[in-house]
Amino acid sequence: TLMLTSLIILTLPIITTLLQNNKTNCFLYITKTAVTYAFAISLIPTLLFIQSNQEAYISNWHWMTIHTLKLSMSFKLDFFSLTFMPIALFITWSIMEFSLWYMHSDPHINRFFKYLLLFLITMLILVSANNLLQLFMGWEGVGIMSFLLISWWHGRTDANTAALQAMLYNRIGDMGFIMMMAWFTIHLNSWEFQQIFLTNPKNTTLPLLGLLLASAGKSAQFGLHPWLPSAMEGPTPVSALLHSSTMVMAGVFTLIRFYPLMENNLTIQTSTLCLGAITTLFTAICALTQNDIKKIIALSTSSQLGLMMVTIGINQPHLAFIHMCTHAFFKAMLFLSSGSIIHNLNNEQDIRKMGGLYKTMPITSTAIIIGSLALTGMPFLTGFYSKDPIIETANMSYINTWALLITLIAVSMTASYSTRIIFFALLGQPRYPPLTQVNENNPYLVNPIKRLILGSIFMGFLISMNTIPHTTPQMTMPPHLKFMALAVTLLGFTVATELNNMTHNLMFKQPSRMHTFSTMLGYYPTTTHRILPYLSLTMSQNLATTIMDSIWLEKMIPKNLTTMQKTAASLVSNQKGLMKLYFLSFLLSITLGLLIAL
Amino acid sequence: MPYIYINIILAFVISLIGTLIYRSHLISSLLCLEGMILSLFTLNALLSLNINFALSTIVPLILLVFAACEAAVGLALLIIISNTYGLDYVQNLNLLQC
Repeated sequence: TLMLTSLIILTLPIITTLLQNNKTNCFLYITKTAVTYAFAISLIPTLLFIQSNQEAYISNWHWMTIHTLKLSMSFKLDFFSLTFMPIALFITWSIMEFSLWYMHSDPHINRFFKYLLLFLITMLILVSANNLLQLFMGWEGVGIMSFLLISWWHGRTDANTAALQAMLYNRIGDMGFIMMMAWFTIHLNSWEFQQIFLTNPKNTTLPLLGLLLASAGKSAQFGLHPWLPSAMEGPTPVSALLHSSTMVMAGVFTLIRFYPLMENNLTIQTSTLCLGAITTLFTAICALTQNDIKKIIALSTSSQLGLMMVTIGINQPHLAFIHMCTHAFFKAMLFLSSGSIIHNLNNEQDIRKMGGLYKTMPITSTAIIIGSLALTGMPFLTGFYSKDPIIETANMSYINTWALLITLIAVSMTASYSTRIIFFALLGQPRYPPLTQVNENNPYLVNPIKRLILGSIFMGFLISMNTIPHTTPQMTMPPHLKFMALAVTLLGFTVATELNNMTHNLMFKQPSRMHTFSTMLGYYPTTTHRILPYLSLTMSQNLATTIMDSIWLEKMIPKNLTTMQKTAASLVSNQKGLMKLYFLSFLLSITLGLLIAL
Repeated sequence: MPYIYINIILAFVISLIGTLIYRSHLISSLLCLEGMILSLFTLNALLSLNINFALSTIVPLILLVFAACEAAVGLALLIIISNTYGLDYVQNLNLLQC
């Protein structure tokens, strides 16, 4: 029963795309109801799993056998995939309903829904894959759909550039993924997870490094991160679906999948920890002074992803997974409410031009406040059940102190930039043109946000109460460590409130150095995006023209030969060039010789 | 010694004297050089036919090959001289030593 139901879940959205009646208007509603039913059906295996803790592997269609490698289509339904699938379906349902309102005036809205549906299918393939080939298919699928969706308004050059950036950074990660697949084929002769975990090889540093690179590319860790803020060029439903809850989770999800291998390899754990810590601090710094509301939320996503990496680095993959699930809810909700603000203010994305929405848009402002509180880990909301255990475990485990400090600073910065959004967008006096109509009455706008609010409040509790803990949490710790997360967050709140209140009175003549560092995203895109292509292009130009053409073909042999001969001849010879004299003397000596002989 | 050999050897000697004694143009020396080679070729061919030694018929052919190379080198030298001096007068050759 488990098997059939979950296969039905996957096929329901596929049937919708196969019908292809996207000329009619009801394609949208068919899609939305298909996703709704898929969500309802997917709850059944999840509840069965919660009750019985029985994992299942479905392996049905044998595709091909290459020498000794057997490839088949197999699905793995364990704790991770069974918990993530209903969450992904729920969020996609809410986003599809939201985009019925948001993209209402778009002539290609049918195509938009088709792309969203394709994205959902590939994401589900990725999550439920049992062998690396299927996971790779899902991986590439979400990459392609992200490209198509970011460049939705493809008349705008910034959107095209951002989509290309996303594709390229994902590609760099894909190289790591392929290296991992190749290593597993060579050493373990299989791409199935069961075989990999059973044989448990001892020298797994190289494939796990490849996996880390792949996750860094997909989940925008430091070094491969600029595509995520640039990906905000896409429509808000795209940002909500891809870049807050699902696609950027693919990288972290794959890392979590490999946790039996990562338990044994301390090097990889330390590098994950450090990479995650650097990411979370760097993106939190960048998020502090951005002025575009979507960019702040995107950098906040990146920061939370870094936090998840840190959790994996301290060998707590289950905590990372729970944080992933809860983060999906409130981040999607933050994006949806920012979309509502943007549309209502007539496509205004700059928070310096918003204000006073506290009274005019009550549902949206409630959503933002609840979402921000959940994000910062307010006790007993959703984020508390996932974020607080992470900080507690990090404080009590034997890890790098520097990474720990950086993570704590980043947590306080989370509170700061959330306060900044609330302050600029909601409080104060309106700073937008007075003739814009602010209207929240459409049920397609309000219902998804309401559902996600309920999810943000209750899901943390539900998930953590219904899962069996795989590692024993620390129950006793000194009070100052227990309150560390809370104290750090409160510090962030108060400092941010003070600073934001000061902006009413104080104004800098010229932004300070730190401010421009933060606003320009740490100068990372400006340096790497220009220097690296410039270097490789000049290197290739030098190779082709100078080295090949002018040196090897021209100068090496012909010209060198002439100069060598000329210098040698002029050095050695001491002739005077009197040809007739030499010839006459030659003739004379021959005649004399002949005469004497005869 | 048959008369025909003396004839051709005489042709060779006249060409030799022409190579060594010339007035102003370098190209006349090269022409006489070609004449030398021609007479040598004829001598070799007649010799190998009269002696009835079949294997030595290859000698004139090899001589032709080397003659061609030599003519090419001579002409290249002529062209370089002509490039630097404009004419191939022999008096020019001790001017502008490089």
